Amino acid sequence: MSTVQDILVYITVAIAVGYLVKKFLLPRSLFARKKNSSKGCGEGDCGCH
Amino acid sequence: MSKQIKVALIGNPNTGKTSVFNQLTGLKQKVGNYPGITVEKKEGICKLPRGVKAHILDLPGTYSLNTTSLDESVVVELLLNKNDKDYPDVAVVISDVENLKRNLLLFTQIKDLKIPVILVINMADRMNRKGISLDIDLLEEKLDTKIALVSTRKGTGIDRLKELIANYKSLSSSPNIDTTVIAPEYFDKLKATFPNEDLYKLWLVITQDVNFMPIEKNPISIPASFKTKSKSELKRLQQKETILRYQFINGILKQAYKVDLNAAKGLRATADKILTHKIFGYLIFFLILLAIFQAIYDWSSYPMDFIDELFATGSEWVKDTLPPGVFTDLIAEGILAGIGGVVIFIPQIAFLFLFIALLEESGYMSRVVFLMDRLMRPFGLSGKSVVPLISGTACAIPAIMATRTIENWKERLITILVTPFTTCSARLPVYLIIIALVIPDGRFLGLSYQALTLMLLYLLGFGAAIFSAMILNKIMKIKTKTFFVMEMPNYKLPLLKNVGYTVLEKTKSFVLGAGKIILAISIILWFLGSNGYSDDFYNAEEIVNQKIETEGFTDFNLQNMESSLTAYQAALQDSMALQGYELDKQALTDSLRTKATELRQKAKNQEVASYKLENSYMGLAGKAIAPLVHPLGYDWKIGIAVLTSFAAREVFVGTLATIYSVGSDEEDTIKNRMSAEIDPVTKKPLFNLASGISILLFYAFAMQCMSTLAIVKRETNSWKWPTAQLVFMSLFAYIVALIAYQILK
Repeated sequence: MSTVQDILVYITVAIAVGYLVKKFLLPRSLFARKKNSSKGCGEGDCGCH
Repeated sequence: MSKQIKVALIGNPNTGKTSVFNQLTGLKQKVGNYPGITVEKKEGICKLPRGVKAHILDLPGTYSLNTTSLDESVVVELLLNKNDKDYPDVAVVISDVENLKRNLLLFTQIKDLKIPVILVINMADRMNRKGISLDIDLLEEKLDTKIALVSTRKGTGIDRLKELIANYKSLSSSPNIDTTVIAPEYFDKLKATFPNEDLYKLWLVITQDVNFMPIEKNPISIPASFKTKSKSELKRLQQKETILRYQFINGILKQAYKVDLNAAKGLRATADKILTHKIFGYLIFFLILLAIFQAIYDWSSYPMDFIDELFATGSEWVKDTLPPGVFTDLIAEGILAGIGGVVIFIPQIAFLFLFIALLEESGYMSRVVFLMDRLMRPFGLSGKSVVPLISGTACAIPAIMATRTIENWKERLITILVTPFTTCSARLPVYLIIIALVIPDGRFLGLSYQALTLMLLYLLGFGAAIFSAMILNKIMKIKTKTFFVMEMPNYKLPLLKNVGYTVLEKTKSFVLGAGKIILAISIILWFLGSNGYSDDFYNAEEIVNQKIETEGFTDFNLQNMESSLTAYQAALQDSMALQGYELDKQALTDSLRTKATELRQKAKNQEVASYKLENSYMGLAGKAIAPLVHPLGYDWKIGIAVLTSFAAREVFVGTLATIYSVGSDEEDTIKNRMSAEIDPVTKKPLFNLASGISILLFYAFAMQCMSTLAIVKRETNSWKWPTAQLVFMSLFAYIVALIAYQILK
């Protein structure tokens, strides 16, 4: 059971690190979506979402 | 598939263009009377009669085609470029029934571009109250167009508009006015030089740079024989054109537009007089602010306490229910604690946006902008800078984008640079938790100290923004002046649907936008706080046991155990007395002994957890930056929170919630854990008035938002300005926090 829990922890941490790297380090153009969202502050690529 | 009709919605600001867009497309979007709300391209699909579909493009609000800002140039560029994929088949010009004369200026300009135009006269529901009567047939005839009389508030006239759009081919595309009469000789030469071009389009291209800085466009090869006029001459001709248009409009409105002055009520004028008065106006605004902050505190304390308890219980439940192990710990101490640190602020953020939305919807916010314009002029800021500064209370990112309406580049740059000083919603969680910890309960003239502190922080942010603007204005030596023209929308009862939508959108945006970052950081922090590489980390239990055996418990834990035991004894005796029993000495001693053992075990666990945390990866990193943050009154844990919140300010609270949860085995709220934290050096509570004020001031001035830096880079097209902003604001925040702590400690 502890091995399974260890694996789950590593996967979760890897996802969290990946998300932050994607959000702040990788260029936004890599993930640019074609359609603009009309939500939030108005501009989908403003970075605050 | 049939071709969609391309429709462009164009109109002056505050004519209800966005509301018409919503009615046509059904798209959910913010609707309000805040100036400059439409700062970007918005599009949607509208179903028309007989199965026809239209692509609706909502263009930024503009007063005329003589551009004075980036926003307005978007409209002109589209209307001048037939090759643009969005070039409209039909333009729908939205006007406000009360300001028809001014709105028709734009209408006639678009009509002269030979684009089929439909005129929408909006806010028709106000006609009776204002004593306005219109001869629609005469207007249609004179303006050579079709008119839809619409009330977006009551939802009337939209079907007629859809019908007109569907039949756009029957609309005339003849111009209203012959502009060449303002300078026949000049236009003759223009015609001779560009025989295949439309004269009015050429005129707009030539005069576009008169009011505004040059914008990128494809160069046109101009024959050497053609000499255009100087800027001042062109400006003079532009004025002649405007006069000509107003003469045309006045002539029509004289016959088709009547106002019964007796029917028009003077309530608005009276209200404006009071609300924009140079003394009462500020006083009323100040009182409204006071009421808002007081309400935020009074109303949200109950749901906040409930959420805090809920997450603490949830964390305990996870630990008791799921199989023991590291992943269970991660959920209980990392994920739930991190999320709880954000969710707890939902009530206060929702209340703040509720009040802001009510002020915007009622039309009062525009009066505030007008008031503030007067206040800000001496500091070298344009009245248009007020809009970004007030929008900055929600988020600096849309606020910085809203600076696109400022014509003068230097004024725009100054506004971009100072806007992050205004108190955004991300600062709110930091302020709220620290104020709750260090500002005592108590009231001054019926207002709580905590609410007053929060309001002072908002005023401090605004003050810092205008003070910095004044310095930047002196450094940058702005010579040109711009004029602030703003329309005061009518007062109206806020539409609950719009208010509710704003509150929901803003709160959702805060929770989901910031929540994802906070959750990711919480998970990583938990991992770094629960793992280490040194022997001290792995042998923490043995080391702490040995330390307790030789040196005993820490002073804090000893005091805590004593007070808990005393409280337990008193509670036990009270309970027995209530039930009519008397506890014998032996039973009392046994019970106290059991409780003491339990408390000792808890204290030992806490000391082990604390020792492990200090020797974890996170502890080592925190201790590395401790010398830097110690002069500000922060320990290494706060240092870590400050460091992680460089991503986004609200991460601060989530980080502290995670740090104080790692290794914790008892059910307790974040606030209680933070207030129980003791400074190892001074042996006093870590969150005291001095360190608390230091944190508040640090967050009031520091530039801690990566997204804002990214948007500043995009808007200034240079890394120079965001870098300068980051360095200046961080240094300033550090120095102010340092001075505050050293004085107050």
